[in-house]
Parts: sequence; C-alpha cells; structure tokens
Amino acid sequence: MTVHTQHINMTRTPLPILPISLGVLFLGTAITMPFWGQAYWLHEFVNISCFFIFAMMWNLLAGYGGMVSVGQQAFFGLGGYFVLAMGNLAGVSPFIGIPLAAILTAIMALPLSKLAFRLNGGYFAIGTWVIAEVVRLTVANISIVGGGSGTSLTAFRGVDRVFRQHMTYWIALTCVVATVALILLFLRSKQGLALQAIRDSEVAASSQGVDVIRMKLAVYVVAALGCGLAGALYFASNLRISPDAAFSVNWTAFAIFIVMIGGVGRIEGPIIGTFVFWLINHYLSDYGTWYLIGLGGLAIVMSLYMKDGLAGFIHRKTGKDFLSIKRIYRSK
Amino acid sequence: MSGSPFKDDNKNKAGPNIMKPLSRRSFMKGVFAASAASAVSLKAPFVHASDTLRIGFISPQTGPLAVFAEPDDFTMMQIFQKIKNGVEIDGRRHDVEVIYKDSQSNPSRAATVTAELILKDGVDLVVASSTPATCNPVADQCELYGVPCITNDAPWQPYFFGRNGDPKTGFDWTFHFFWGLEDVVGSFSNLWQQIPTSKAIGTLWPNDEDGNAWGNSDRGFPPVLKQKGFEVIDRGRFQTPINDFSSFISEFRRNDVDIVTGVIAPPDFANFWNQAGQMGFQPKVVTVAKATEFPQAVRAFGERAEGLTVELMWSPSHPFKSSLTGQTARELANDYMATTSRPWTMPLGLKHALFEVAIDVLQRAGSKDPEVIRDAIKATKLDTIVGPVDFQNGPVPSVGKTPLVSGQWQKRGKDLDLVIVENSQAPMIPVEAELLPIQYKS
Repeated sequence: MTVHTQHINMTRTPLPILPISLGVLFLGTAITMPFWGQAYWLHEFVNISCFFIFAMMWNLLAGYGGMVSVGQQAFFGLGGYFVLAMGNLAGVSPFIGIPLAAILTAIMALPLSKLAFRLNGGYFAIGTWVIAEVVRLTVANISIVGGGSGTSLTAFRGVDRVFRQHMTYWIALTCVVATVALILLFLRSKQGLALQAIRDSEVAASSQGVDVIRMKLAVYVVAALGCGLAGALYFASNLRISPDAAFSVNWTAFAIFIVMIGGVGRIEGPIIGTFVFWLINHYLSDYGTWYLIGLGGLAIVMSLYMKDGLAGFIHRKTGKDFLSIKRIYRSK
Repeated sequence: MSGSPFKDDNKNKAGPNIMKPLSRRSFMKGVFAASAASAVSLKAPFVHASDTLRIGFISPQTGPLAVFAEPDDFTMMQIFQKIKNGVEIDGRRHDVEVIYKDSQSNPSRAATVTAELILKDGVDLVVASSTPATCNPVADQCELYGVPCITNDAPWQPYFFGRNGDPKTGFDWTFHFFWGLEDVVGSFSNLWQQIPTSKAIGTLWPNDEDGNAWGNSDRGFPPVLKQKGFEVIDRGRFQTPINDFSSFISEFRRNDVDIVTGVIAPPDFANFWNQAGQMGFQPKVVTVAKATEFPQAVRAFGERAEGLTVELMWSPSHPFKSSLTGQTARELANDYMATTSRPWTMPLGLKHALFEVAIDVLQRAGSKDPEVIRDAIKATKLDTIVGPVDFQNGPVPSVGKTPLVSGQWQKRGKDLDLVIVENSQAPMIPVEAELLPIQYKS
C-alpha cells in the first residue's frame, strides 16, 4: 500500500468490514421485524433509538468537537414541540413532521450558537444549560402549545394502530442507520480530521489552516439536527409533551451516562453504552430510587476506573477498533 | 371486615393525629420490601393462565409526587386479600393480577410504562391516579392503543381539556372520576363568605396544568369570584419551584388581602408561609390546594398549620362505604392508621375507590374483550368509599363526578385534625365544625 502513496504518510484504516457486514445483517433482520416481532419490541426499539441518536450527537459534540454541552435538551425539546405543533395546529402528519421538526431545530441552532460560542470550556457547558432553560421558560409561556401545562398529540387519533406502529418503527430505524453512517463517514473525512484537531488544540488547528469557527458551527448545527430528530421521534411516540419533561436536563444526563459507559470519543461508544443503558433500564427501573442511585454509582465507578468506557476496555484487551476512524502514520 | 383488629386510639378524632412521631417503616413495607418497588404480581395459583385478568396500575412512587403514593402498599395489600382466590364471574373463578409501575413523577416515564404494560404485559385494564401529570399521559397511551383505562385524583378539566378532549364526543377508551373546578370554586367561595373579611383574595396560581386551569379567566376561579363580589389580586402565572414570594406578599399587603388561595406544591407553600410570617403578613383565611392536603406536609409547619383550609375529597367522616371490603370511611382510615402507624391521607380513599371500580368493572364485564370491558366501565354505577361513581351523568362524556367539601386544620386536644367546615357542593357530607379565622400570636 505504501508503494503507491509515497508522498502521503497518513493513511486511513480500511473501512471496517466485519462490523459493517454485521451491521448489514442486523439491518436485514431489523427491517423485517414488524412482520415477525412483537409490538412491544417495536415500541422499545423506537424509545431506545431516541436515546441512542441523542447520545451519538452528544458524543459528536463533546468526544470529537470538544464542546461539552449540558444543554442539548434544548434541541431535544424543540424537536418534540415542533412535531406536536405541526401535527395539532397545522395538521401535518407526524411521519412527515419528524424530519421537518429536525430541520427546524437545526435552523434554531444557528442564532443560539451565536450566544453559546462566546463561551469556552466550563463556561460553554453552563451557558448551554442556561440557553436550554431560557428555551424552556419561553415555551412554557406560549399558550398555543399548552404553556406550562403541556399538550397531547392528537394527530394520531383515528390512524390505524398497526400502520402507525410500523411506520414509527421504520422511521426510527432509518434515523439510527443514517446517524451511524453519516457520523462514521464524516469523521473519516478531511473535515472529521479537522474537527478532532480542533478538539485537541484550537490554536494549533487554526494555525494549520483549519477554519475553527465554521467547523464548530457545522458540528453544533448537525448535533442540533440529530437531537431535534431524537426529540421529535420520542414525543411522536410518547404523545404527551410538557416543558418540564421536554427540556429536562435529565436527557443530557442520560446521554452523558451512555457515552461515558460506552466510551467517549469512539463511535462504538454510544452503541455499547445504549445497549447497557437499555439493559439496566429494562431490568432495574422498577426499583425506584435505588435504580437512580445505582445509575449514579455506576457512572462514578466507570469514570474512576475505566475512563475510556467499555469500548476502550475492549480495544485495550483485543487491540481491535471496530468502527475505526483513525489515520495511521506510516513511514516511507 | 368491620373495624380493625388493632387498638384504635384515634377513635374520637375527626382527623389524623399529626403531631405523633411516626415510624416510616411499617410492617407492610417489610412484607412488600422485596417486591414493592418492582412490578408486584398479585397472582393466585391453580387458575388457568389464559383466564387471568391483568390490571396495570401506574402511580408516582418516587419524585416530587411520591406523597400521593404513600397509601399504595396498604391498598395493594387490601386488594390482594380480596383477589388472592380469584374473582368470581358468572360462576367461574378468574385469576386477577395487578402489575404496579412507577411513573417517577414524570409524564414521559408514565407514558413509557403504560406502553410497556399494554404491549409487554398485555394488561386488560389500566388504572392510574394522582395529578394530571400522571393521569393524562397514561390515558393518552391507552386511547392510542385501544385499552380501557380508569383514572382519578386530578380535577376533570385539566384531564379533559388538557388532553384536547371534545365535549361532544369524549374519549373512546379512557374514563376519569373526580371533582371539577366548579366544585372547588363553589366550595371555596362559599367558605370565604362565612366570616367577615376585606373580600380581597391574593392568588398563587403557577404556570402548570393545575394553575392554568384554576386561574383560567373563562373557566376558572376569576369569573365566579368577581360575580360573588370578591376582588382578585392575581399576579399571573409563575414558574415553580419558586423561592422568593416577597413581591407577592408585598402586593397582597398593599391590597389589604385577607384571603390567600392557590394550588402549589408543599415546598413552595412552605416558602410562602414562612416568608409571610417573617414579613408580618397575616391573612384571615389561607386555602391553598395540594400543599396542605397531606398530613406529612402540614406537620412541618407545627403551630403555624392551625387554621389552614383545604379542599377535602375524602375523609374518615365521609358517609360512604367500600363496595370491596364493606368498611366505612372511618373504618378504612382506622385500619390504615393501625396497620401503618401513619396518619390517614386523602389518596387512601381515592386509591381504594379506583380498585373498587376496577374490580367491579371486571366482574360485570366477565371477559377479556377490550370493548366489553370498555362498555362495562361506561355502565358503571357504583357506591364507592369516595361517593357514587357514574360515567353516564358527568359534565362531559367519559367523566364521572365525586363530591367535594372543604376542611380546616383545627386543634383537637393537643393535636391538629382536618375537620369538615363547608359542604355547599355535597350536602350529604355533614359539616363538623365552623370555620375559624387564623389566629396569630403577638
């Protein structure tokens, strides 16, 4: 390989064949699931997809872009509110409303980024949280979407139940696949490399000709799009929205938990993390307060003893990167 | 069962003995400890599984609304006693199973566990209770999946209009029984006319499901109060939780407010009431819903709790009987206090009534067919521990009304008791005492 690329001393790792073929197998099984699976599993998949997409976006922002935000719930909630508002007020079918809501959320992210980007590091984290609170309070005072009381999505009343379940499931599946594929391809691209350079040092990256501001803005907007998508999907299946539930900081807390358990700054991190989170949620959430204490305890243990998460642990043990975006230095 | 087998030292009291130190952990907790917080299956063996009727029960066991779920363990125990040998329907015994889920006081979580109960556990009937934040998301999911649902303990307007219900048609699958704003407006306004005041009312209506409904200028308190000659000092909807009420208190003082009302959570009211004390604001009547319904919350105010008034949807003095155990309201409360060593609390009656209706419906339906169960709910005519439940004669379809009176925390011996002082909306419930203005020392 090096013979043909003598003038390039950085090469991409080959696209990961094994995980991709496993993914295709998963996809084949998943697409047909409505025809053989139980309704419960479809519902469960839609629910967990929202957490997954949201966590992927947080990982993109923090793990690759170095922007640690605790205010991503702003976009999650906006996505949810857009899909409900379009459904209830304009009669837009939620199936069309979901992607539209994601796009509207991304547009909202443009002016909000002007505020957020004036801050750095820890200030950025707090600033994004403040922005999310401002969005929550603003929505709580818009009476057409129920104000502080919230509202129920009525657009699905009268829609055939099986059709709705299958459609919601396929939309969720499409969103999941698109999220993974786009992030993988993006991070393997030149822009992806630039993004990671910014994370490691903004000054150094900009001295190498990387347009830091534009790059950060692009990632911030893409993350908002993804979070809006997750929120739209979640509330279209949950039906009931209120500002306190939609803009709860818990959403971001769960995303951070998922990414930390899985491994920050690794694509497979949120995948593994979401799976672990789902297992814990599925089997232990009936234990009330103890469940929440356990989640917190686990996060502390992971951050103390396994900083790179389960994905990092697997990598250290096996030496393998399953969804690699690395470029490896090869000498001539 | 009549009377409790335990010694009853509250026999002559109208309300709970709130000053008594309580043991948080009763033996009941021990019995359920291993499984209480989880999905408790109340299952009877020896019955063919396919005949099992499943009831899903959603309640806020954790989070800010947890105080509503306090009687759950006790109610579940009573229901277990009732259904452990199955329920007889048309001469056949059916196994009945109750699956208990925690909403974590979060509407999103409530919707998620409802979908889980419907899709995974295949419940035939869903019941839920405690505020619109629990009832509305649960009912929305049931409506969507076509599963019969009964809820209570949330005024019917936030339940019905909060879910964008159409007063002409109602909902297909979901039913609700409780009082409405018209009852609480009627009862409170009548209560406030009993003693001479400045007729100026200061309001604490937050920006949430309840506050928006109570403060609504068409359907809420303001039009009725103005018509009855009261002056309303409303500073608009505010965000909760809230720490600082000083601007409210100053404005109330400026306007010579004698009556304070609202619907806020116990921690918010604690802030308000403490700050009112510090600023020397001394209203004659304080009727704040939600905050002072619970003996645990009221106990925290010590002496300053005396004279507070609140709406009463159930008390040991209500002249009703359980269709399930035959207990009177007084006997149920005594049984609860003896078993758990805790004071009685209003959700006890409502949780009990919820299961009274659920078991009655399943007995009359005698089938797992959702439409048959739904029609059985519609046809309900049952005298429960909170009063008669009937979905045919409600203010809107799908809603049945139960009676409401007002009570006051008054001194009985050394302790405070919640006694009935107003019954204009439900004359069948006798008044126990006269309303007294709040007394201030110094």
